[in-house]
Amino acid sequence: MTRAIRLTVNGTAHDVEVPTYRTLLDCLRCDLGLTGSKEGCGVGVCGACTVLLDGKMISSCIALAVFADGHEVTTVEGLAEDERLHPVQQAFMDAGGFQCGICTPGQVVAAKALLDANPSPSDTEIREWMLGNLCRCTGYYKIIESIRAAAAQPSRP
Amino acid sequence: MAHRIVGQPIGRLDGVEKVSGAARYSADVTLPGLIWGKALRSPLPHARIVRIDTAEARAVPGVMAVLSARDLPDVLVGRRMFDMPLLARDRVRFIGEKVAVVAAADPDVAEEALALIYVEYEDLPAVFDAAAAIEPGAPLVHDNPGAYEGAPAERPHANVQSVLCFKLGDVEAGFREADRIFEHTFRTQLAHHGYIEPHAGVVAIDGDGRVQVWASNKMPYRLKELLSHALQLPKERIRVNLTPIGGDFGGKGSLMDLPLAYHLARVTGRPVKMVMRYTEELMAGNPRHPSVITLRTGVTKAGRIVARRVRALFNAGAYAAFKPVPHVNLGGAGMGAGVYRIPNLLIESLCVYTHSIPCGHARSPGEPQMVFAGESHMDMIAKDLGLDPIEFRKRNLLTEGDHLPTGHHLEHVRAKETLDAALEASGWTTPKPAGVGRGVAMTHRHIGVGFTNARVRLETKGTVTLVIGLPDTGTGAHLVLRQIVAEVLGLSIDEVQIELATTDIFETDSGVGGSRVTHTGGRAAYHAAEQLKEQIRVEAGKLGTPGASFAVIAQAAARDGRTLEASHFYDAKAHAAVTSFTAQVAEVAVDSQTGQVTVRRFTTAHDVGTVINPIGHQGQIEGGLVQGLGFALSEELGTEDGRVSTLSLGDFKLPTIADIPPLTTVLLEDPVGPGPFRAKAIGEGSISAVAPAVANAVADACGVRILDLPITAEKVYFALAVSKKERSS
Repeated sequence: MTRAIRLTVNGTAHDVEVPTYRTLLDCLRCDLGLTGSKEGCGVGVCGACTVLLDGKMISSCIALAVFADGHEVTTVEGLAEDERLHPVQQAFMDAGGFQCGICTPGQVVAAKALLDANPSPSDTEIREWMLGNLCRCTGYYKIIESIRAAAAQPSRP
Repeated sequence: MAHRIVGQPIGRLDGVEKVSGAARYSADVTLPGLIWGKALRSPLPHARIVRIDTAEARAVPGVMAVLSARDLPDVLVGRRMFDMPLLARDRVRFIGEKVAVVAAADPDVAEEALALIYVEYEDLPAVFDAAAAIEPGAPLVHDNPGAYEGAPAERPHANVQSVLCFKLGDVEAGFREADRIFEHTFRTQLAHHGYIEPHAGVVAIDGDGRVQVWASNKMPYRLKELLSHALQLPKERIRVNLTPIGGDFGGKGSLMDLPLAYHLARVTGRPVKMVMRYTEELMAGNPRHPSVITLRTGVTKAGRIVARRVRALFNAGAYAAFKPVPHVNLGGAGMGAGVYRIPNLLIESLCVYTHSIPCGHARSPGEPQMVFAGESHMDMIAKDLGLDPIEFRKRNLLTEGDHLPTGHHLEHVRAKETLDAALEASGWTTPKPAGVGRGVAMTHRHIGVGFTNARVRLETKGTVTLVIGLPDTGTGAHLVLRQIVAEVLGLSIDEVQIELATTDIFETDSGVGGSRVTHTGGRAAYHAAEQLKEQIRVEAGKLGTPGASFAVIAQAAARDGRTLEASHFYDAKAHAAVTSFTAQVAEVAVDSQTGQVTVRRFTTAHDVGTVINPIGHQGQIEGGLVQGLGFALSEELGTEDGRVSTLSLGDFKLPTIADIPPLTTVLLEDPVGPGPFRAKAIGEGSISAVAPAVANAVADACGVRILDLPITAEKVYFALAVSKKERSS
């Protein structure tokens, strides 16, 4: 069974016909060609597929595409504005917040959501918020540093 | 010597694609007409395949091919020892072994079709435990393993894949000199690497019959050779295209599903993508070998080790195919001697076939297992001798001119200095509250060897392009290589670009792994850049303008139809006489009610060469260390009768951001490495000593000794209960 849905992804509306069992992640990656969001664990544990649904973090690998019908989705591809990286993205580059980069789309989306909700988080708040984003390369120290550095930026878009 | 670019904390300039989602990993590669392959896996550990019926699966609308072993050539694959079929033929040897494969335009349709393949099995007796597998009469995993290509010639039992021995002096004579002899046995768990990117690959066959491959594989040139072998095609017909790799840690060097993707592409005429589900990774990846390690050490009254015998049993699973080294064993077994001078030594390491998930190489293969055993053993001996564990270590540490079990002679030995640095930074002697303990552990890691091709080209705009066949597995290797070239040529980092060489470009390359990239890739890039520098000097002389810019020089050459470029093939066959020591201190608190261990603080000290990029260098230390903490405390692939029971990444407990302790790092920089600018290696330096440091700290905190990893609250709780009972009775 398929259903016609409308997703607004990073500000652009897409009308797609999807099987009802299609995950939002597969819809983004396969139907819309937005491969920035990654599938790691596939069961909502690792956070590599993190996107924002109406500004709230979700694991797109365990959300159905039909569930997002009529909603706004923000993916890693939508964080930069006019070719300018979001401060979180820049900080992850400057401070060694990523290595292999496979978890990074989820990390930066989660970190952006954190700073939107709490512009100056404490280390404890960073750890609590980012708990659902696994990283196997960095050991997390430089992810915390990156988020601290992004939070310290005087102004954010 | 002061450097301009080398040693600078340059961020990941190559990261724009990664932080913006533009980077195309293997699973992101799309091609016109691309279809998906999915594999059906065995639900039984050892069984005869009586019949495979694919008719229903073939009838599913959208299914384009269903293949089983009878549709494929009868070849065996592997990295050094070729013992694994592409799909199980006649019998399955572990739960998770592939028995059939489906192609469909839609991955969900392919998965649906898998459920409609009917396989009739006939159970066969199975063996899961390594010790049981080498008993007389144990069920055989392979009838005649010695006949496999690349198999070691001799084995004490048909279920032994390989035996690796290290010998120094006369171990029996050594034990006769000993006043006390101690023997302890340790166990370590089956553990997945935990890379977040599951294995993925795309195979396309061009109109002219060329096989194009995109794969999460860190050794593209070796992959080409292995594919040539597996597909029975000449090497020239295969091209591996380099993609970013989403974490490796030793796990991304095998063929995995690529031969199957090729055969699906061959029969359908379409490019085929295969991406493992993480569940498949956990049941059939190529995890770290679980071990049972017994150490027997003879010590004199003066606290000197005079003899040691080590026997390691590694449960290697159903195939040896994932091990990349000629001895088809784990080099880390040599760490049975630790960082100590042991004049009489015998280490015997057995990799044993069982009807379990086949194991492979994982970050410093064999070492976290062996170092956990060895460094726990050291503390246990010291305690029994009434010696301070530091003092006992210092009496036996390697010093200048000593030899490793490999017979390797060592120079610039800084074991003691590294230990002292860790102790000082950790506040080793400061008072501790009740329930808090400190533990120390040490290890060392060689600087990797191998061979790399590099080419540098001067562009007409005055920049330089480094052409290299090494993928970046995430370590920042490409940035390090750019720094090296920029340093040599007096350029800024932005003036050096990387161009990734497909396997058409160079003849060979040993790829990423074994702590080699900064050394081999770095030296290849360094020497190529030196040659280009000389060419530029000569060209400037010809122009009569010694100060001419690189752009002017390149343009002048271009007018003559020439490109200024230089290539270098660097081949390091033998290990250098230097190594890198690590000393680590864990400070833990143990909850006496629950057994929960909390790491309060961690100190890591490293004897390093020239640090080329401090951010990347520290990132390697931190990443390896947190992997070590996971190995120490939480990660475990549970198994029940050969079945991996932790089939989600939520059950295989990787450390999270909330689990990391405050960390102090000490670097003892000693520029004596064989790498460019006298660099050493760092990628595998921080992982192996973590678990024994934690185990020793737990023993210090609450008096219980945990002999098997991971050190869960449950184990500590029961050990505490037993020790309480013993004290009261």
